[in-house]
Amino acid sequence: MKIEENILNEGPVTQETISYWLSIMGKNKNLGGHSIFIGQVRDDVKGLKKVIAIEYSAYPEMAKKEAGNIKQEILKEFPDVKDLHILHSTGRVMAGEVSLMVLVSAGHRHQAIDACAKTVELIKGKLPVWKKEIFEDNSHEWVHENPA
Amino acid sequence: MEIRVLFFGVLAEVTHTMFKHYRDIASYSDLMFRIRDEFPEIIHYNYRIAVNSEMVNEDPELKNFDEVVFMPPFAGG
Repeated sequence: MKIEENILNEGPVTQETISYWLSIMGKNKNLGGHSIFIGQVRDDVKGLKKVIAIEYSAYPEMAKKEAGNIKQEILKEFPDVKDLHILHSTGRVMAGEVSLMVLVSAGHRHQAIDACAKTVELIKGKLPVWKKEIFEDNSHEWVHENPA
Repeated sequence: MEIRVLFFGVLAEVTHTMFKHYRDIASYSDLMFRIRDEFPEIIHYNYRIAVNSEMVNEDPELKNFDEVVFMPPFAGG
């Protein structure tokens, strides 16, 4: 498996992109399970304002490096995992659109499912990505999920 | 030393820039002094520092042309 790869995707992760990854994962017939996580932008209401989009920014060089570290950590903890793909949006993603895809393939289902869940948590904590919520009136608010 | 500084997330908004070049920097402390002097609002925000894509703790040793990055708490996903 390629450890370092560009995981950043300008704009939303489209259905076509997700379909592409789903179409190629079946080519390795040694695999018994694939687990996928699709992260979608929610139209939360903050006070009286509704979120219409999230704008993501990232530090690309470090994101690539950290994605490699995440993959290595997953492979060490879940030796049955044979493939792992991450796609994270940058730029504006509208509510209802997809901003994150994690796809994990393994010999058996348990490690595919557990590794997928763990990967999502590692992305939240370690990937140098920032987001601001854009409201209907075009104002915005930065989201600070993980304390520095 | 000549140091390139990057700001991400809310810090890019606060400083009104994503990157700056600083010349004649003597040390990390000197760089911090210059940045806080130019952007005093930055002290109100939490951030971590990376040098050349690696997280560092307080007072790292800088080399000429290093890239120092100011990163607010991550919020991916």
